[in-house]
Amino acid sequence: MNGTFVILGILALLVFFGVIQYNKLVRLNVAVDEGFAQIEVQLQRRGDLIPNLVETVKGYAAHEKETFEKVVQARAQATAAQGVAAVAEADGMLTQALRGLLAVAEAYPDLEASANFLSLQEELSGTENKVGFARQFYNDKVRALNEIIVGIPGKFFAGPANVVEREFYVVDDPGKRNVPNVSFS
Amino acid sequence: MGSLTAFVIYAFALYAGYTSVGIVPIVVGISLFGVWGSYYSSDKIVLAMTGAKVIDHDTAPQLFNLVHEITIASGLPMPKVAIVQDDAPNAFATGRDPEHAVIAFTTGILEAMDREQLQGVAAHELAHVANRDTLVSAVAATTAGAIALLSDFLIRISLFGGGRRDSNGGANPLVLVAAIVAAILAPIAAILLKAAISRKREALADATAVAFTRNPTGLRRALETLAADSTVVHQKSNAVAHLWIESPLDNKFTSKLFATHPAIEDRIANLRALEKSGPSAS
Repeated sequence: MNGTFVILGILALLVFFGVIQYNKLVRLNVAVDEGFAQIEVQLQRRGDLIPNLVETVKGYAAHEKETFEKVVQARAQATAAQGVAAVAEADGMLTQALRGLLAVAEAYPDLEASANFLSLQEELSGTENKVGFARQFYNDKVRALNEIIVGIPGKFFAGPANVVEREFYVVDDPGKRNVPNVSFS
Repeated sequence: MGSLTAFVIYAFALYAGYTSVGIVPIVVGISLFGVWGSYYSSDKIVLAMTGAKVIDHDTAPQLFNLVHEITIASGLPMPKVAIVQDDAPNAFATGRDPEHAVIAFTTGILEAMDREQLQGVAAHELAHVANRDTLVSAVAATTAGAIALLSDFLIRISLFGGGRRDSNGGANPLVLVAAIVAAILAPIAAILLKAAISRKREALADATAVAFTRNPTGLRRALETLAADSTVVHQKSNAVAHLWIESPLDNKFTSKLFATHPAIEDRIANLRALEKSGPSAS
C-alpha cells in the first residue's frame, strides 16, 4: 500500500517536472518569434523613413546620385528579404548604405542645419538603435532557447514541444568591426 | 506616499488613541488601505505630487524614442513618459507594475545631457520598473510609517494602561522602559530600512540598465554630469525622495547612513569597472 503511494508520488513529480520543462521551451520559442517580429517591425519603420530622407537630401545635394541609388536598392532588397539570414544580410547592407547617405549630408551645412533633416536624423538614429536592441533581445532569447535544447533534460522535451534550435541574427557590418576601442583610463 | 499615509493615521491615532485599545484593528485596516492605495495608484499620485506632464512622440520625439529603445531592449511594455518643469537635472520612475509605469525627466536633465547619457538614464529608470522597485519602495515607505505608528501605540498602552483589563494596579515599569526604547528605536530602524532597500535597489538598477543597453559609458557619463551639478530639485519632499535617480535632498542634512541613494562616486566607480571588463557578448 505504502509502496503504491511512493510510486504515485514519484510519477506526479516527474509529470510536474516535465510540464515545467515543456512550458519553458514553448515560452522561449514564442519569445524568439516575438523578438524576430520586433526586428521586422523596426526594419519596416526604418524603410518607411528612407524615401523622405532621400528626398530631403536630394533637395540639397541632387548630384550625389550614386549614393541615393545604393540606398534605394538596399531598401528594395530589405523589403523583399525573407527568413533570418536573408533579413540580416539586407539589414546590414541598408545600414551601410544609410551611413553613406548621412556621410554625404555632412558635406552640406545647410542640409545639416535644416529642421526637417534634423528630425529625420533623430528618427533614423532612434530606429537604428531600436533595430539594434531588437537584435540583442532576439539573440538573447535564441541563446537561452538553444542552450536548453542542446542540454539535458531540455533535449528530451524539444521534440514533444515541437521546438527546434533557432538561428542567430548576425549582421555583417564591416563598419562596426573597425570601431577603435580607445581607453584613457 | 507612505509618509503621508502614516501622518494621516498618526493624526487619527492622536485623536482616538487615548480612548480605547480597540482602535488598533481600525488603524491597522486604514494603514493596509493606505498600502493598497499607494500600491494601486502610485503613478497618478506621484505625477500629481511632482507636477509631471505626460508627453507623446510628437511633443518630445527624442525622449520618446529613447525610452522606446530601452523597452525593446528589455522587452517591457512602453511606459508613460513625463516631463517635470524643473531646472535641476533628475529623473524618476513610478507605477505599480510595468503596465502602469511612468518615467519622468526634468527639463534640466534634458538640457544637460546628450543622447547617450539620456539613454543611460532611461535604462536606469526602466530597470527600476523591471525590478519592481516602484512597488518595493511604496511598500517600504508605508511599512516604515506603520512601524512608527506601532511604537507609538506601545508607549500609549503602557503609559495609560490597557483600559479596564489593567487589574495589576498601574503599568509595569519594565514594559514602560521597553516601550520607550522601542518608540525611539523603531522609527529610526524603519527609516534605515527604507534607505537600505532603496540603496541596494539603486545599485541593482545600474547593473540592470547596463544589461539593457550593453553600454555602461552612457550611464556613467550621466552620473558624472549629475555629480558635477549642484542644483537641487525644488520640490524636495521627503516622501518622494527615494524615487529620483539622484537624491534631491541636500547632503548637509542627510548623512550617508540615512541617504536613500549610494554615493554617486561609488556608482560611477562600479560602472567604470564594467567598462573595463569590456562589452558583454552579442
